[in-house]
Amino acid sequence: MKELIKKLTQTSAPSGRESKIREIIFEEVKDFIDGYEVDRLGNLIVWKKGKSSQKLLLEAHMDEIGVIAAYIDEKGFIRIEAVGGVSPYNLLGSRIIFQNIEGVVGIEGETTEDLQKNMRELNFDKIFVDIGVEDREKAEELVPLGSFGVYSASFTDLGKRLVSKSMDDRIGCAILIEALKKMNPYHNVYGAFSVQEEMGLVGASVVAFNIDPDIAIAIDVTGWSDTPKGPKRMSIELGKGPCIKVKDSASISDRRVVERLRELAEKNGIPYQLEILLHGGTDAAAIQRTASGIVSGTLSIPCRYVHSPHEMIDIDDVENAVRLLQVLAEEPNAL
Amino acid sequence: MYLKELTELNGVSGYEKKVKEFIKEKIKSKVSGLEEDTLGNLIVWKKGKDNKRLMLCAHMDEVGFMVSNIEEDGRLSVMPMGGIDLRTVIGKRVLIGEKEVPGVIGYKAIHLQKGDQLSPPSIENLKIDIGITKKSEAENKVKVGDFIAFSTESVINSEWIAGKALDDRGGCSILIDLIENDIDLFYETYFVFSVQEELGLRGAGIAAERIKPDFAIVIETTTSGDNPEFPESRRSTELGKGPAISSAHSGYVIDEVLFNWILSNTKELGIPYQIKRRTVGGTDARRIATTLGGIPSAVISIPARYIHSPLSVMNLKDYENTLRLIAKLLTKEVKE
Repeated sequence: MKELIKKLTQTSAPSGRESKIREIIFEEVKDFIDGYEVDRLGNLIVWKKGKSSQKLLLEAHMDEIGVIAAYIDEKGFIRIEAVGGVSPYNLLGSRIIFQNIEGVVGIEGETTEDLQKNMRELNFDKIFVDIGVEDREKAEELVPLGSFGVYSASFTDLGKRLVSKSMDDRIGCAILIEALKKMNPYHNVYGAFSVQEEMGLVGASVVAFNIDPDIAIAIDVTGWSDTPKGPKRMSIELGKGPCIKVKDSASISDRRVVERLRELAEKNGIPYQLEILLHGGTDAAAIQRTASGIVSGTLSIPCRYVHSPHEMIDIDDVENAVRLLQVLAEEPNAL
Repeated sequence: MYLKELTELNGVSGYEKKVKEFIKEKIKSKVSGLEEDTLGNLIVWKKGKDNKRLMLCAHMDEVGFMVSNIEEDGRLSVMPMGGIDLRTVIGKRVLIGEKEVPGVIGYKAIHLQKGDQLSPPSIENLKIDIGITKKSEAENKVKVGDFIAFSTESVINSEWIAGKALDDRGGCSILIDLIENDIDLFYETYFVFSVQEELGLRGAGIAAERIKPDFAIVIETTTSGDNPEFPESRRSTELGKGPAISSAHSGYVIDEVLFNWILSNTKELGIPYQIKRRTVGGTDARRIATTLGGIPSAVISIPARYIHSPLSVMNLKDYENTLRLIAKLLTKEVKE
């Protein structure tokens, strides 16, 4: 499973440019499914037939946050714009990988005071990417305007904990892939790997439209509260089990989904946490409002340093999430 | 090109009727079909070689105000309709409601301001003066809910136009030109003149749901940002440098196939073009893309200075080049 997580997180695929990760995911699942479709926005939807007449939609987004090359100056330095929630503070000191080349993020500052001020009030106007070329022509050849980049940050196995870029939401993709491989579903299971979540739940807004499932569950990362002076008023810890989301700032999970997941976790001895996320949301918010409304919830993985180049998760939470989804798909009770 | 006529019509969001009537008159004899939907979008279409559907969309509405109260002294309190920099509106002429009652946007004179000239005026203190001093008399001329449009006469010469509502009458004018020109259309092409974009992309999704297009291209008028104090790298777009092609904007990354297809056709045509350098702000593309089972969308814009104010400026060469580009795209098949 760690190998799969490494492969998925180390692939570059920012919002709107997901073809590479879609191919990798498809290769992983193709021998374990009964059918698939790539819709017009690029969402990959796969399915496994069951015995019941009910449909269960499991969804994870395959895009990651990134940047766009917006301007190149005569010396070949690239100005960038954010794709999704990228903080300039995280960019500073990071590397960015574009399709053909990697670069370093630098900061403006003509005097020490100037530099300190820019550090304090950092924004995208103060930073640039240096790809080590000497002029605009060479830079434009390697990084055409309008092309996309993502963090270049390695995968590190710390044992129980794993660190990489784009755990958000390749960890959800890994869980969904693993669950699809293992399950022998009682219900008809649809697995959706969606696009452009980071731009505002774009793919998920349409993914459930044609499926019209009885229940939908988004699988995504959530926040954390277990670091020194970490976020207050929340109870999310790494390694204490996958989180059954009760509420975040974008949606309230359907009570029936929460209860169902809890009940199955209890019955099967799977550790879990109940989650309230104060700021943030998942694709469940978009799915919930598709067509005439879909019963939806989110199963999330506690993740430290979300949207930084180094997102940390606990492998036990991942494996327990796979178990819980497998049980949900296989349990011969109405959804 | 109907830029001058279109920018002198009033069509604040929700009250696009006059603009729509004008457009309808110009195009009705030149299309294969025409309908208006419940929200007020005007949808017309022409047949192509292929049965697939391409939707072009420009919004008819413009930013403005609405009368929210008639005060005891006969002056009008207002609420903004769309994003307006209130610093640009003081002392400007407006027309109110269907009867187009003239008024002036009033605020305390500079003599009475103590160093607060740089902060935007508060909407609470911005009043419209219609030359009446009693509420009862004012009520004979205007009512709560009347729209308020900037009253700006457009100035046009061979190279430039200055006028209000270029955002997005620029797009509307291009759509009319495209309909009038006898283009050898590849796809069955739907021309949508949408409503209420400025209030949150309200019209376009409904139109897309009706049409069920295979692709959509939004034709916008967009922020230039080529002010002298901005370094080149911070300029969203620049006037005179051709149509602006968006790679992403608020809420949506432009479909990769469409983006590359547009770019390669632009290069082939040999016209100047620019990739928009800012991703802030959204367009109808976000709404269209997430309609039904998903509709791949793209955005091409004419740059304009000072949009969302009583007076904006556009370069007519950019208009021409945008028109040429889209006219070419309409004859082509979307290919990777």
